[in-house]
Amino acid sequence: MYNRNVSPSAKKSQPKLEWRSEHTSKEKKKDSHSIPILCVDCIPLFHGTLALAPMLEVALTLIDTWCKENKYVIAGYYQANERTKDFRPNQVAEKVGARIAENFSEAAMIMVDSTRFTMGCYEPILAIYDHHENKWKCRDCNVDSFEDWCEAQKITSALLEGRSYESLIDFDNHLDDLRNDWTNPEINKSVLHLC
Amino acid sequence: MASVSEMYDVTWEEMRDKLRKWREDNHRNSEQIVDVGEELINEHASKLGDDIWIIYEQVMIAALDCSRDDLAWTCLQELKRQFPGSQRVKRLAGMRLEALEKYEDASKQYDSILQDDPTNTAARKRKISILKAQGKSAEAIRELNEYLEQFVGDQEAWHELSELYINEHDCLGDLGVREAAVFHGGVCVCVCKQHTGSVVTLAGGQCLQECLARYGKAAFCLEELMMTNPHNHLYCEQYAEVKYTQGGLENLELSRKYFAQALKLNNRNMRALFGLYMSASHIAASPKVNATVKKANVKYATWATNQINRAYQLAGRGTKENKCSVKAVEEMLESITMS
Repeated sequence: MYNRNVSPSAKKSQPKLEWRSEHTSKEKKKDSHSIPILCVDCIPLFHGTLALAPMLEVALTLIDTWCKENKYVIAGYYQANERTKDFRPNQVAEKVGARIAENFSEAAMIMVDSTRFTMGCYEPILAIYDHHENKWKCRDCNVDSFEDWCEAQKITSALLEGRSYESLIDFDNHLDDLRNDWTNPEINKSVLHLC
Repeated sequence: MASVSEMYDVTWEEMRDKLRKWREDNHRNSEQIVDVGEELINEHASKLGDDIWIIYEQVMIAALDCSRDDLAWTCLQELKRQFPGSQRVKRLAGMRLEALEKYEDASKQYDSILQDDPTNTAARKRKISILKAQGKSAEAIRELNEYLEQFVGDQEAWHELSELYINEHDCLGDLGVREAAVFHGGVCVCVCKQHTGSVVTLAGGQCLQECLARYGKAAFCLEELMMTNPHNHLYCEQYAEVKYTQGGLENLELSRKYFAQALKLNNRNMRALFGLYMSASHIAASPKVNATVKKANVKYATWATNQINRAYQLAGRGTKENKCSVKAVEEMLESITMS
């Protein structure tokens, strides 16, 4: 069963979709010291085996460079597990999250709860974890965690109905063919259209 | 809603051929298969001849992926009618039960197949899939190992086992007691019952060994696959990734060699190219290597970087993302020559 998920919305309501099982991504944020942190985008990474190091390192390096070019910071990591009922963070998520937290202390780890997924996206299905004293603690996630949940919900639902996930490119796709663009400009355009 | 043939302006023959191609290439584009297949079945069944039975099977499996139990049921009924008592159809019925999460009933279905035919590999593998779906990965690993003792040539099974090992999260402590393994800075650190809450680090013995052992076992599976498929660049490349993940100088050198081998077999394998770069640069940066080894690895890494650069330029259309990737690669090159 394909796992399709919604990521946190950002300024101008730009939700991103993840699809297929075990999709992981990172978020970026405009560099600012004000609280709270706003995630403005996310990049899907892999949909195969997540627990191997080399490609993850490559992805982190390349995306980090891209972030710097665009004055972004990698602000978190999100993961959707292959098994629907499995929504707790595993070692991979904790490891990558910790790595990101080394560079950005307020990094968040986000797990998707696929059991609550619907095409209408009426409620957020994310669990947000913060890094405290080497442990990941879950915080309450509700519509207030999003800048404009209503917009996000409408746009995401529309994208799902339109099957935009069929054209979603992740890092795995990029490694299969370098012409595949992991910044997903077409989907970004669709999102802006729907705003 | 417009039909597939209307939307894409295709004939039923083209739709049938598309389905065949997807079958042959083992594509799992289930939504498309359902769209095309359902229309073919509903509108053009009489024209398909004997092809229809394999199409029913293909569409049924795709329907299960898409939660279309109505369609899956229809296909199953047609197949049952045409092939009563068939093991192959029984397996499909079992898969439907799995999709409905009726795992016990599914298991019984497969057991009944195995009673009639104990060598039915499909049924055995479905039973293992049930364990995997239930998250019982340790049991799945055990069953799969047993299966492979009997069916030693089953490549799909070896590959599945390697993945199960790689994703296996449990750790066996000293007393065989399962505890969580926590990754910390790339090193597996075990929290073992016998150490009650304290953490056993890299220096501590047995616990960590068991933890890392699963990567070793995954490597063993991939070695089996490489032996029987010496020209398959993907197995080579995956083996290299596992070695890299295991870490340590020896494993890094092995990983570099296998990335290089994968490239020899397919010079367009980007993962192998990146892997070659990463492993060579880590070796070059290691304080444990002498000057000769360091120099050689800097050479390998530099070569890899140039190849990566070239590959991006070939693929590039001057897109923004592409320029950044090229830049990132250039930065990698700089960091290598500086060290």
